[in-house]
Amino acid sequence: MAETMELVPDATDPKTYYLNMGPQHPSTHGVLRIRLHLEGERILGADPIIGYGHRAHEKMAENRDYLQFLPNSSRVDYLSGMIYNLAYCQAIEHAIELDVPERAEVIRIICGELNRISSHLLWLGTFVLDLGGFTPFLYGFDDREKILDILDSITGSRLTYCYGRFGGVTMDVDDEFLRRTSDFCDYFKRRLGEFDELVTDNVIYQQRTKDVGVISSDLIQDYALSGPVLRAAGVAHDVRKTEPYGGYDRFDFDVPVGQRGGDCFDRHTVRMEEMRQSLRIIDQALACLPDGPIMAAKVPKRIRPPAGDHYFAVESARGHFGMFITSDGTDIPVRHKLRTPSFVNVSTMPVVLPGTMLADTVAILGSIDIVVPEIDR
Amino acid sequence: MLKQTLTGARSLLTGMKVTFKNAFKKPVTSQYPRERIEMSQAYRNVIVLVEKEDVGSHDCIDCGMCERVCPSFCIKVEGERPEGMKRKRATRFEVDFALCSECGLCLDVCPTDTLGYSREFDQAGYGRNDFLYDLLIPYRDREETVRDTLRAAEAEAAAAKKAAVAKKAAAKKAAEEKDAAGDEAPGGDGDDS
Repeated sequence: MAETMELVPDATDPKTYYLNMGPQHPSTHGVLRIRLHLEGERILGADPIIGYGHRAHEKMAENRDYLQFLPNSSRVDYLSGMIYNLAYCQAIEHAIELDVPERAEVIRIICGELNRISSHLLWLGTFVLDLGGFTPFLYGFDDREKILDILDSITGSRLTYCYGRFGGVTMDVDDEFLRRTSDFCDYFKRRLGEFDELVTDNVIYQQRTKDVGVISSDLIQDYALSGPVLRAAGVAHDVRKTEPYGGYDRFDFDVPVGQRGGDCFDRHTVRMEEMRQSLRIIDQALACLPDGPIMAAKVPKRIRPPAGDHYFAVESARGHFGMFITSDGTDIPVRHKLRTPSFVNVSTMPVVLPGTMLADTVAILGSIDIVVPEIDR
Repeated sequence: MLKQTLTGARSLLTGMKVTFKNAFKKPVTSQYPRERIEMSQAYRNVIVLVEKEDVGSHDCIDCGMCERVCPSFCIKVEGERPEGMKRKRATRFEVDFALCSECGLCLDVCPTDTLGYSREFDQAGYGRNDFLYDLLIPYRDREETVRDTLRAAEAEAAAAKKAAVAKKAAAKKAAEEKDAAGDEAPGGDGDDS
């Protein structure tokens, strides 16, 4: 292992060479650069070089008050911005012990799960695109568009939502929203069957993903991986289940796990099943949406969490997203650390990639579902 | 080998069945310049000053709340207290939309609810300075008349308040006098019945 992780391996060996994959490679989904050490097409070493999308979110948080960080939160991960935005609100509510009305909680869950489906759909589309299939990409974007339209109707944005507020949400949902959401759920259940026929059952797809890029549970423990990558390895861990937050304990859903030991195909099946579970949650939430206010009655004008450390974690579309906030009792945090799952996932690449072929790199990198701004923050 | 070929052929046909079915569906794309989709009611764009009915103009009082809360520091507000008026009026309200992130915090904090979202969606420009918006433009020409009306209304309200205070004081004085009279004539309560 040690020689593969070495940054400057023996450059004098004429049989091996270096290849920069990225930062403009189409399959690195943004500006991730991986320096590969190759012997022919076999990978000897891989070294992810990150930081091209660094926007200093953590530093910005130290220079503005808690409310002003709100628009930043969804830009950390633009594919599941709603989950991140609401997670930040929940973290602050947790720190200042503010109760959220039940209606706002359920609306948050509906929006969060819709966002999770849209994120997984985009993953499915681009992953199959990386492997050479163009059709699922277009179908996936069509369905994702429906979700974006639904969320647009209440948030006014399509990608970087700023919907949550400390103590609730900005806008109430109307009957039109509920009707469109339940229509979408019915439609998407049928549509997932089509995706299964088109992608999951496809022989070429299976050959490209089965037994490729196995991330075993040992490695997962060493690197503290989370999300679908963790569940694909057979560990049924989901923050929504293990440490329920925001009212998730009221809903009945399963945590899907992989059956094959954590290869790319497992990660695919786990995400497909997660979309079904999200639909289940949305169905239940629509049925039990209570009446009432969408904002807490008494939201303090100045947000001043008590001095000390506060930690809050949610299950984002990519895994365990945690926020560690150190407060000194003033308006501005001393430190706001974001624990982002993609960063952890991509850090296993120097261990997982060596020994595989170059074409599999694309599959492995795609299957862990990275979002580069979330790695760099 | 034969089995593999058969499985491959079956998976190919299944995939083609799905694409075949979808090929006859209506296209999901809309031909933008020729057809337009309905805009969401919650649509967020650059902020505008909303006309308030009771004022007949915008109701920006230059409190500076939006300027202070804005995470992108893209709002500039200045104002003055017009001659003979209690409340302030904005004389400058500029937004640099190139910096705005459409979070809507300014709308939340506005005490007079005079901020709203514009329904524009197709702004384009050649430089970042093309997105400096002066929100007072639609209200400039009638500002003087609005100020006169507001001044008159304020004076009227002040007069009404003064009258109310005077009336209250008079009532209080009358009550005191009555009390005093009652004290002077013990058992006066019984006279009324």
